[in-house]
Amino acid sequence: MQDKKIIAIYGKGGIGKSSTASNIAAACADEGYKVMIIGCDPKSDSSINLLGGKRIPTILGLLKEEKDIEEKDIVFNGYNGVKCVEVGGPEPGIGCAGRGIIVAIQKLKEVSKVHKDMDLIIYDVPGDIVCGGFVAPIKKGFVNEAYVLTSGEYMPLYAANNICRGLSKINTELSGVICNSRSVTREKEIVNKFATQLKSEMLAFIPKEQLVQDCERDGFSVIEKEPRSQIAAIYRELGNKIMSTKKSSIPVALEDEELRELIR
Amino acid sequence: MEKDKTAIIHPRPSSIVASLYTLRDLDIDVAILHGPAGCSFKHARLLEEDGMHVLTTALDENGFVFGGHDELVDLIKKAADQFNPKKMAIVGTCVSMIIGEELHDAVIEADIDIPVVEVEVHAGYRDNTKGVLLALKSALNVGIITEAELKRQTHLLNSATEIEKKHGAASKAYLAPSRGDLKYKVAKRIYELLSNNKKGLIIMNVKKETGYMFADILLAINQAAEQLSVLENIINFANIDDSVGLPRVRQHAKNIQKGFFEHNIKLNENIGGLDEYAINGDKVKKLIENKYSDFDFAIIVGVPHAIPNDITSSMEIFSVTNGPRQVLPLKEMGHEHVIVEIDLHPKTLGVSSIVESEFGATLREVTKDHKMEKCLELN
Repeated sequence: MQDKKIIAIYGKGGIGKSSTASNIAAACADEGYKVMIIGCDPKSDSSINLLGGKRIPTILGLLKEEKDIEEKDIVFNGYNGVKCVEVGGPEPGIGCAGRGIIVAIQKLKEVSKVHKDMDLIIYDVPGDIVCGGFVAPIKKGFVNEAYVLTSGEYMPLYAANNICRGLSKINTELSGVICNSRSVTREKEIVNKFATQLKSEMLAFIPKEQLVQDCERDGFSVIEKEPRSQIAAIYRELGNKIMSTKKSSIPVALEDEELRELIR
Repeated sequence: MEKDKTAIIHPRPSSIVASLYTLRDLDIDVAILHGPAGCSFKHARLLEEDGMHVLTTALDENGFVFGGHDELVDLIKKAADQFNPKKMAIVGTCVSMIIGEELHDAVIEADIDIPVVEVEVHAGYRDNTKGVLLALKSALNVGIITEAELKRQTHLLNSATEIEKKHGAASKAYLAPSRGDLKYKVAKRIYELLSNNKKGLIIMNVKKETGYMFADILLAINQAAEQLSVLENIINFANIDDSVGLPRVRQHAKNIQKGFFEHNIKLNENIGGLDEYAINGDKVKKLIENKYSDFDFAIIVGVPHAIPNDITSSMEIFSVTNGPRQVLPLKEMGHEHVIVEIDLHPKTLGVSSIVESEFGATLREVTKDHKMEKCLELN
């Protein structure tokens, strides 16, 4: 059953995963798809721009209060019916966020059946897969496609390459590379080449636009606030590509030297 | 609904161990603990005596940091070679569950052609019965038990958890362990009641294999009554129905029945299966109301706190438990005499017939002494 898309978007911290995820979610909802977004970062801000800047209670926050949890307590309707869920987690520097993700995903599956009706489920995962818990979306959430977000800068590429190494280790296919531009020289060419070397492809080149920031400052995606903008069109095209993509394969990570060569 | 937040500060049974015992009842041949070498050590060894091999991946500091997937795969293969099991199980521990080890991946990779039950369990659940449920659910996944049996067991476990909260080891924030009343004195009192022609109920309401030793107490009282020629004053209750429960539990019931038969024990009331100790209270209550309400004393062995105290309030109550932390709650229930069979459980593992209890032995000695006294008087 490959009709349901369960995807995870990976990439270096701060590269724009949550922005991209919210805009993809909003764009696909506009196309009439049933979409769900599951934020797995302890910061719990993946869905904030689909909810007019509001925060929702997190699964782990409620579990900590030892309350009986029902679907309505953790699944919220965002822009155009997008189902929003936040895993939550401990304060930085204490406890174990990884275990938190495992527990929260198990809980979500136990109390909620809504994910069964979805056309697209997006897991917005923290920057690095630093421990076993961060693989829980793939292992226990049944992610069937992974995407990697990067710019043409060295560090994000390095992180993206590392993530691909991790994906191949856990036998998970990569369905595409998304470039979130930081306006560095030869960026499109670099990321394109990087994707090809991974045995994948670059699905979108998202230019750096102040508009995205402006919308987020007000708590919205560009799809919602500036639907007629050029960048909204790019997100829509990306959404369509994700919904129609059939091709994916286990990525072949580059050696460090190859990566260096790429940006020279 | 707000959950009960009373913090209980005495250590209590572990849900990992509860999973292991359940796997044994499912006739699993080899259980692999995926975690540190010392986890559940004592029970692992006892279970070995009961016929289930328990192995460990012995995760160390490196394992905590780098994961133990390869070690687990290797051990599954090795165990399959060495022990030739028909059914195997992998059991989680606190550390492997925290670091997110995927038991399923290892089982797939090891690719052995027997059913493997994967139990993702740690010891951090408030009720240890959670470990039983997790093991049973995993067993259902590989077709070792039926949906109906899982439903039945879930009901039994919920009842067991309830009675522990009401009158058991989970009833108070702290329970000091106690050895209970002196066995010699209690034995003398029972002998006295029997000699005075008092009518007594022996209610054996036991949990699974612990029945092998609690049955000996029933035996000893019957022997004393026989010697005093007052057997007709004694009524025996026991939960040894062999038509319900997991295969191994039914076998225990058969074995205890056989022991009773060999000793000419008349079982007046068979109140349920060996795993139904938590739900037998009402049955016992009805039986007493209808047939035995005029009895003078009752001796309740095994899980005495599952028998409602209102029905026996007019009787002198003796109870025998194997839990040192159970003494206080039983006293609070109004039981006049409470005794503890220390270390009962280990002695009932790996056996298939009734084993001698300390209290049974004491009562037999008391009986023998009186018999000798009588002989001396006659001479």
